[in-house]
Amino acid sequence: MVSESETEGGILRFLATIDIRIVYFLLFVVVVGPLLYPIGMPISVSPDTVEFHDVIAEMGPDDIVLLHLGTEFSGWNELSAGSTASMRMLIEQGAKVAIISAHPEAISISPLLYNSLSDVMDANDYKYMEDTIDLGYMHPNEAAVASTASDFHGTVRTDYLGASIEGTFLDDINTAEDWSLIIDIQTGVQSAAMLNHYRVSYGAPIAKHCIGVSVPGAKADLDAELLVGVLPSLRGGAELETLIGAKGPGVAAMDAFSIAHYMLLIFVVLGNIGYFGYQRSASRRTTVGR
Amino acid sequence: MIEFMELSIAVFGAFIAMCMFSTLYGKSNPLYVFAEESYVGFATGLVVIMAIMYIYRAGIQGILAGDWILSVGIILGLMTLTRLSREYAYISRLPIGISVAVQLALSMRTIIFSRFIRHINATVMNLFPADSQLMLYRWTIFLSLIPMLTFFFYTTEMKGPLSWSAKAGEYILYLSLGVVFAQTYMGRLGMFVGFMQSLTLPPWKIPILISTMIIVLAAVVILDKANLADRWIPG
Repeated sequence: MVSESETEGGILRFLATIDIRIVYFLLFVVVVGPLLYPIGMPISVSPDTVEFHDVIAEMGPDDIVLLHLGTEFSGWNELSAGSTASMRMLIEQGAKVAIISAHPEAISISPLLYNSLSDVMDANDYKYMEDTIDLGYMHPNEAAVASTASDFHGTVRTDYLGASIEGTFLDDINTAEDWSLIIDIQTGVQSAAMLNHYRVSYGAPIAKHCIGVSVPGAKADLDAELLVGVLPSLRGGAELETLIGAKGPGVAAMDAFSIAHYMLLIFVVLGNIGYFGYQRSASRRTTVGR
Repeated sequence: MIEFMELSIAVFGAFIAMCMFSTLYGKSNPLYVFAEESYVGFATGLVVIMAIMYIYRAGIQGILAGDWILSVGIILGLMTLTRLSREYAYISRLPIGISVAVQLALSMRTIIFSRFIRHINATVMNLFPADSQLMLYRWTIFLSLIPMLTFFFYTTEMKGPLSWSAKAGEYILYLSLGVVFAQTYMGRLGMFVGFMQSLTLPPWKIPILISTMIIVLAAVVILDKANLADRWIPG
C-alpha cells in the first residue's frame, strides 16, 4: 500500500528522487553537444599553469628532459592536451627528450604523442635517436626506479625497439641529478617512487601533470618543494595551450567542461531543495503520524 | 583518405565504448559483459607481454652484457614460480621475502623525507610576507593545520579549547572533502570529455559514433524486451 507521504510532494519529490539515468543522459548531451558545436567560451590561465610553463620555458638545446608517462588510456584522455603542449614546447626549444612508460598501456601512448607532433618535429628538424628517444616500459616500483636513479645505463640499455642507446644524448645521463627536468604525467601513485629516489635522493626537479583527483596531493607536494610545478587536469592542459598559442583539443574541450560543471552545480542545488523540501517534510510527517 | 586501420579502430572503439555505456540502461546485458571481458583479456595479455619484454630488456640483456649479478634476480624470479606447486610452494617465500624487504628498505630510507619532514618543513613559514595573497594563503594553512591535527587526537579527553579546536578541525575536514569531491568530479569529467573527443574528432568519426549509439541502444532494448538480456550473459 502506498503511504500518503509517497504520493505527496509533486516537483519536490521529483527533485529528491530524480532518476540517475536522467542525469547521465543530460551529462552526455552537455558534453557531446559543445564538442560538435563549439561555443568558444573564454578561459583564464591560473598561476599554477604559468609556473609549470615557466619551468619548461627554461629548457634549451643543452638540456635533457625525462618525460615519465605513468598513465593508461583512460587517463590519457584527460592528460593528452597538457602532455602534447609540454612536448611541443620542448621540441620548439630544442631540448632533448627521453620518454619512459611507467604503465603497460603507456607504451602505445608515446607513438600517439610523436604522431600528433610530427609536423612540429619536422619543422624543427627534431629527429628520433638524435633529439628524442622512447625507452619503452619501466616497472615503476621502488627497486626499478631507485636503480635507474643511481645507475641509469646499468638498468636501461636500449630503446623500446631494442636499439642500443650508446652514443646518443643519453650518454650524458648517469644518475638522476643529470636530468635537467622530469615531467611526470600521472594518473596514479607511481610517482611516489620518483619523488623518493629522483627528488629526495638526487634533487632532480620534477614537474607533474596529473588528473584532477590527484591535484590536492600534488599541491601539497608543490608547497613542500618536492615538485617544481603542477599542471592540473585537462583544464591545465587547455591553459597551457592558451599560454603557448597552440590551441588544440584542451581548449576545444573547455566548453563541454564548463557547461558540465554548471550542470553539476544546478543538480546540487536542485537536489538539496528536493531533500529539504520533500524528504525532510516526509520524515516529519511520518514521525507526527506515529 | 581515411586508412582502413584508422577506420576499423574508430568503429571498434566506438562500439566497445557504447557497449560499456550500455550499463547506464540500468540492467545487465551481454553487450556490456562482452566489452568488459574483452578489456580484462586485453589488459591481462598486455601486462604479461610487457612483463616478459621487461625481464628480457632489464635482465637478460644485462646478463649478456656481462652484468652477472642480474642472474640472481632471474633465479629468485624463477623460484617465485614454485608457488604453482603445493609441494614446493614454501620455496617461493624466500624471493617474496627478499622482494618485500628490499622495497621496504628502499622506500623507508626516503619516505621519511618525502612524506613527513618536507611537509612539516613546509608548514614552518613566514606568516607576514610582502605579497598579500601569499599571506592569506599561508594563514589559511596555519589556521587549518592546528585544529586538523587536534581532531586526530584519539587518546586524550576532548574538553575545553581542545574540544573547540577538534570541532573546528572537523569542519575544516568537511571543507577539504568538498574540495576533493570537486577535483574528483573535474578529473572524471576531464576523462569523459577527452574520451568523447577521441570519438568525435576528426568529424568523420561522428556518423560512426551516432550510428553505433543507435545500434547498441536498440540491441539493449530488444534484448531486454525479449527477456534475453540475462539469459545470454555467460554464468
